[in-house]
Amino acid sequence: MKKLLFYALVIAATVLSTILLIAFLMPKKIIPNYSDEKLRELALSKGLKPVPSSYEELLKLVDDVKNPMTPQKIALGSELFFDTNLSKNRKTSCATCHSFDKDIQNRGALLSTLMTKNPEITNCAACHLRDQSGVDRFTFAEGDSGTQHPRRLNTQTILNTSFAKYFTWSGEVQSIQEQSANSFQAHHKMNLTPKEVEERIKENPKYAAHFDEVFKDGISFENTTKAIEIYVKTLTTRGAYDRYLEGDNSAISHEAKRGLANFIGFGCKGCHNDISLGGQSIQRFPLREFAQVYDLKLNFEIFPELKRVDSEFPFENSGGYLGKKNEHLFRVPILRNVTKTSPYFHNGAVPKIREAVDIMARHQLGRHLTLSQIDEIVAFLQTLEGDLVDYGIKGEK
Amino acid sequence: MRAIYIKISVFVMFFTGILQMKLFGIAWENFRIIQALHIALSLMVMLFLITPFIYGHIYKYSFVKKVKSSEGWVLLGSFLLLSCSGIYLFFIGNRGGDLFGSISFNTHLYGSFLLVLFFIYHTTKQQKPSLGYAMLLVLIVSLNPSSVYADTTKLSQMKVESKNGSFHSEDWTNSAKCKSCHSDIFAQWSDSNHKHIAGSNPYYMAMETLAGEAEGEEFRKWCMGCHNPSAITMGFGKTTHAMDGNFLSNDIFEKNAKALTDDFKTHGNFRLEEGVSCITCHQITKADGSGNASYTVSLDRKKYAFEDSTSKAGHYLSEKLINSNPQVHKESYSNPLYKESRYCASCHDEFHPKTDMKIVSTFKEWEKSPYNNPNDKSKHKTCIDCHMTNLENDKFAPLKGVSTDGGVVKKDVKVHYFAGSNHFLSGLKNKAHEEQTIQLLKTSAKLDIDIKDSKLVVGVTNVGAGHHLPTGVADFRELWLDVTITDKSGKIILSSGKLKSDGNIQDGSRLFQKVFGDENGKPVGLLFWKYKTLLSDTRIASKERRVESYEIDKNVIYPLSVNVKLNFRIYPQWATDAVKTIYPNLPNPPVLELIKVAKEFQ
Repeated sequence: MKKLLFYALVIAATVLSTILLIAFLMPKKIIPNYSDEKLRELALSKGLKPVPSSYEELLKLVDDVKNPMTPQKIALGSELFFDTNLSKNRKTSCATCHSFDKDIQNRGALLSTLMTKNPEITNCAACHLRDQSGVDRFTFAEGDSGTQHPRRLNTQTILNTSFAKYFTWSGEVQSIQEQSANSFQAHHKMNLTPKEVEERIKENPKYAAHFDEVFKDGISFENTTKAIEIYVKTLTTRGAYDRYLEGDNSAISHEAKRGLANFIGFGCKGCHNDISLGGQSIQRFPLREFAQVYDLKLNFEIFPELKRVDSEFPFENSGGYLGKKNEHLFRVPILRNVTKTSPYFHNGAVPKIREAVDIMARHQLGRHLTLSQIDEIVAFLQTLEGDLVDYGIKGEK
Repeated sequence: MRAIYIKISVFVMFFTGILQMKLFGIAWENFRIIQALHIALSLMVMLFLITPFIYGHIYKYSFVKKVKSSEGWVLLGSFLLLSCSGIYLFFIGNRGGDLFGSISFNTHLYGSFLLVLFFIYHTTKQQKPSLGYAMLLVLIVSLNPSSVYADTTKLSQMKVESKNGSFHSEDWTNSAKCKSCHSDIFAQWSDSNHKHIAGSNPYYMAMETLAGEAEGEEFRKWCMGCHNPSAITMGFGKTTHAMDGNFLSNDIFEKNAKALTDDFKTHGNFRLEEGVSCITCHQITKADGSGNASYTVSLDRKKYAFEDSTSKAGHYLSEKLINSNPQVHKESYSNPLYKESRYCASCHDEFHPKTDMKIVSTFKEWEKSPYNNPNDKSKHKTCIDCHMTNLENDKFAPLKGVSTDGGVVKKDVKVHYFAGSNHFLSGLKNKAHEEQTIQLLKTSAKLDIDIKDSKLVVGVTNVGAGHHLPTGVADFRELWLDVTITDKSGKIILSSGKLKSDGNIQDGSRLFQKVFGDENGKPVGLLFWKYKTLLSDTRIASKERRVESYEIDKNVIYPLSVNVKLNFRIYPQWATDAVKTIYPNLPNPPVLELIKVAKEFQ
């Protein structure tokens, strides 16, 4: 009995000290306290860049000889983007899901909506139109006449897509033009054939002259998608983060700077990179196999908590979408304006940004971030919020 | 060898126990660890060491060796007594409601001294004390609990001013956690207007968004200081609402804070609770009563071991630890300040942050009213005397009951319905809540009518409110007279204060309200913060009698039958119409008939 107790104690002590030793010896990721200049230098050297504030600089970055950008084309694209006639039931435009106020300077839209009888805009849009987020804020997309997305996919923001290389959740689409053609034809979006689109455009006499002015071959489905692409390329946003990168140290808070350092140090920037902080590559999610089935949380509790999570994703996968080739491959989402595009992930299963950051760190980086680290990263993500840049392009006739 | 174990464990139990006594006043960080250790060690030691030892010991000496030791039996008796009281304290606790809790607590506390004395006497009779004491000392010294909870102690020194400071959502403990012991209070709060003051309040959401649009997004923080303090401290710039798939969550009608409780089950404290939670009010340490969120909320309260734990086991244990010795818990959530009116004034007075225009002055109205009479305690009535006292049969009827499950029965439990004037939004969830508010509203005024010189004279007296009638956002509250006079043939000869077909009150009705004008002297409508000039103020001050007179045609044929009602509506129809643009499911607030007087005049 005495011996048994002795050995039990020895074994317990060994196990405990081994665990503590491992925990103690594990190298801690220490993110240094950078000075403002050092941090900016680091961010720029890792490929993080501000959004250009002038039209000329934007042209340098996004202009393409195959579909050159002109003020007239932008104006035409803008008309088409907001035209609800370009959908089967004439209720949906591109801006129905990629929602933002066409009038960038608009102030007082909500007040006038609330104060008019039978206003055009109601429900969610009344408040959220002026978010200038480029999404519908729904959990999953709804197309013409409320058709639900067959895979319950969440609408991604259209803002800043001009800096992206891949499009849609799977990243299988290579250009905005291609995706706009897809969207016209998809039954759960605009639900029109290319021929029908052309017919709808010809219905409106003002388009004919406009198309002739912009394109040699006048009205065609391809030209429609080209004009839309050009307009979408001008939809960029600038915020406090851009001002910081350009040299304004007071643009973002100390906490946000810590967040940026964490963002770089922990490796988030590995995928969420370049100007748009995302959209540059296709990656696996969730990355860490160990985190797929069980989420074992290390804690100093009497019983460590074992939580069963969905076997495919760390959240319920309503819609059953599994990414490109059903292999959990997703385009890295654009993080600009992320704090105004909740809910998160491909089916909008996670409603809060802090939870999304926690999931990403756990499953993509294999890290359990501390609460401070999460809050700092969220403070940084808030600085990515921005207003649509008014490039002062005058192309309307 | 075994005897040494037993000695060490008995003394560890004893010392960890007495260290918790007030006398020692040890630092809270150490207290909470020692308390948990005391229980865990005692359990382990009792189960695996002492019980088998005692059994063996009695068997060996009493039955085999036939030693007669009366003090041994006394020792056993006191040991049993201590174990029983300990078990009672752990599983049921000393919550204050039952006598056993207090008996157990004292038995456990003072009995331990007796036990140790008997124990020393019992052991030293046979042999001299040895290594055990030295070991014990080492053990106590080596208890350095601060390293375990480094994360929380870092925060514990901080004080949050309402406008700045960043904290983790964990420090804004979810109200659903309080439910497990304070179920009645939680039920009252969960359908009250304090709970539904932010994301689930359609009027508020519309106004906050409007304020952000009109004055810039930063301006939302002015609203959020009182409506959503937790979100502000976490650095969030706007109030969020819940969604149910692609639809707005139905929380206008949702009872018992179901969404909040579900959130807490799945996300624990990681998901921030927005709005006015238990913590918001119960962690306020300072309030100077000047309005606009002028309070200091402190998030460095004393937490028992495992209180922040995310696991169920931890949650269970923390509850047991609190119940067994709830004094610290009680003290850290209450404050004499909470009974004073200036505490409520931190939010129930409101002024524009830049123009300094006084928008809501409920507290200042009360200060000037006869209810503010600190010299005569019988006449002095603070906010909670009316707004947190139970009502029954249209009268104040202090609720006899408990605020903690199994706690002390109090003569006047301060109910958390927060009855004020907004019967409508709480009534959508719970009729019992609505009843409380309607009863309170009915205690506020009296009507008297008379006809003199062809004039109908209606007197409205503010008899019950310690502030103006109406108060609060009095530009949105509608309190008016509905008058109908019919002559002998039943023909209506005078009618005032009826609703038009669009739901708004007829022009020319007698309303008791204030009307704000902007800098150009035009009514501000929804944008109340544009207030620059007071266009009219017909509110009735506390104890004031207001007289309204109506001309009656001299040629009418008497007798006249006069019907006067004092009507109340929480929001004007035009405001509700505006909010319904965003929230189509919102019903129209009803017109409440507070008082009705019918009289025949010859």
